[in-house]
Amino acid sequence: MSNERQQRLKQRLENMEEMPTIPVVLVPLLRYLEQPLDALDLQQVVDLISQDKSLAAQCLHMANSPLYGRWTPVDNIRNAVVALGMQRMRDIAVSCSVLTLTPRGGMSIDPSVFWEHSLGCALVCRQFAQEIAFPDPAKAYLAGLLHDIGLVAELCVVPEEFQVAFEQARRLGIPLHAAEATTLGLTHCDSGKIVAEKWHLSADLVAVAGCHHDPRSAHKHRELVALVSLSDLLCRMSGLGYGYVEECQVNFIEEPGFALLLEECPALKTFDWARFTFELEAYMEEVHRLVELLYRVPQ
Amino acid sequence: MTTTAVSKRPLETSQRPPSPQLVQIRDLIYRVAGIFQPDNKLRHLEDRCQKRMQTLGVATLREYYECLTERSIRQVELVSLLNEITIGETFFFRNQPQLDALRNVVLTHLVDARKEMSLRHLRIWSAGCSTGEEPYTLSIMLMEELAGRLQGWTFEIVATDLNERSVAHAKAGVYGSYSTRNLTPEITRKYFTPAGENLQVKAQVKTHVSISRVNFLDDARMVFLKGFDVIMCCNVLIYFDVASKRRVIQHFYNNLLAHGYLFLGHSESLYGINDAFRLIHLPSATAYVKSSERQVAR
Repeated sequence: MSNERQQRLKQRLENMEEMPTIPVVLVPLLRYLEQPLDALDLQQVVDLISQDKSLAAQCLHMANSPLYGRWTPVDNIRNAVVALGMQRMRDIAVSCSVLTLTPRGGMSIDPSVFWEHSLGCALVCRQFAQEIAFPDPAKAYLAGLLHDIGLVAELCVVPEEFQVAFEQARRLGIPLHAAEATTLGLTHCDSGKIVAEKWHLSADLVAVAGCHHDPRSAHKHRELVALVSLSDLLCRMSGLGYGYVEECQVNFIEEPGFALLLEECPALKTFDWARFTFELEAYMEEVHRLVELLYRVPQ
Repeated sequence: MTTTAVSKRPLETSQRPPSPQLVQIRDLIYRVAGIFQPDNKLRHLEDRCQKRMQTLGVATLREYYECLTERSIRQVELVSLLNEITIGETFFFRNQPQLDALRNVVLTHLVDARKEMSLRHLRIWSAGCSTGEEPYTLSIMLMEELAGRLQGWTFEIVATDLNERSVAHAKAGVYGSYSTRNLTPEITRKYFTPAGENLQVKAQVKTHVSISRVNFLDDARMVFLKGFDVIMCCNVLIYFDVASKRRVIQHFYNNLLAHGYLFLGHSESLYGINDAFRLIHLPSATAYVKSSERQVAR
């Protein structure tokens, strides 16, 4: 990979002309939901989500999943917000919004595998955060959902180059970022940082998108980056990866993210990794079903 | 307001939330036996509990939980429930992700470690081999590698079980349709011969496997089982109390070579039992390796 070509790829990513935009409803919704809970008006949230029929339909699919805590069906957005609460509804609305970002059709790689991984990672981050008393499980969910946003950028902006990287990773059974580094000269962390900054995401989410494969390189928000890094790895080792097997063995307590996260969360020291791994089994089928459902909802 | 129709089929297991008593039983089993039933298997666990409840004449899960904890029958009942949970789990190529991890990841490490020892030989222990499907599966898997990475190598599978009848069955090596349902036509043709309605393991597979009766709590016997690259011990330790389990795990630690791997059954864990082994993650599987600290929790 010549340096010149690498720069050209980076330039194309920075221009992001082929990159889809964030759904219009998402920014006002997120801004509105950032207010204190007691300042929120239920009807306002319902109206915001309902503006976009496709988003509303997707939100209902997700709201009916046991992964978000529902066991009895809800059939409209108002009931969903009432039943699940504002914060859970924010998670769902953001998830649905970003899931629409990848291009459909005309690609040799099925983008739904990336969203299965991202949605799975978001859920694992939230659960992991809760179990080790990480201060902000809701932020962990968001960070898990958006950590691979750089892959979306590469799929949209440099699809042919990305496919070469993906095929190499799949053929050799190596991590995708390792194959990207060899074939593209940059990784989805590099492109993720570019996209996250362009979208004006918060600094902690920029750090996650840019450093989740090397949490020690994050200057700030290292604990959140470490939490996502470990969750991402656990997903990839547990069949919630990118649709191929990474042929390696991992000892989580030797991972760089472990030591970083341990500083923030002492509960990690006695964390039962085995049980947590076994619990993941229950996520897979439902994550797969949800992503498939969301992709079938007409845009 | 949007009233878009939604799917009424969330998750198969999600017609209703799991009952707190069922979750309590799941957690008890994990705490006592070290085997975990994830949420998507809770219906299976509930079915198994219902079966036991019918036998005992118990009406509710709450009462059944009492049977497992407070009543005089708790030890016996826990074993009965564990039998129900693990019933029918013995067949060829049973845990494919575990076998794939062993073949595609672990074998590379073993070959490298053995080469450093200048020994082209692998030694695997199927500890609690039941009727023999596991050791013969391992033998077939490694025979498939003899033309590749294991060219010029030898290997042996030491298979042991406590039960005399299981040992006899394993030695005979004749299996019905249930045990052999996962076999591909190619594997069947290469490694089995028809025996009436059944399939007989060929002598070339058997030649790598030695089968004997061993009680894990027989310390005198256990200390002589040495120098293993891999120990497979699936759904056996779940029946042991904590003290016995620690004793057996200490033996396994000593029985394994420094680079060795211990594999347990699906969703089986050593959490809280032993600090000398470290959990490692393999693709869709877990295993234990020796920790450098070499401290055993007692």
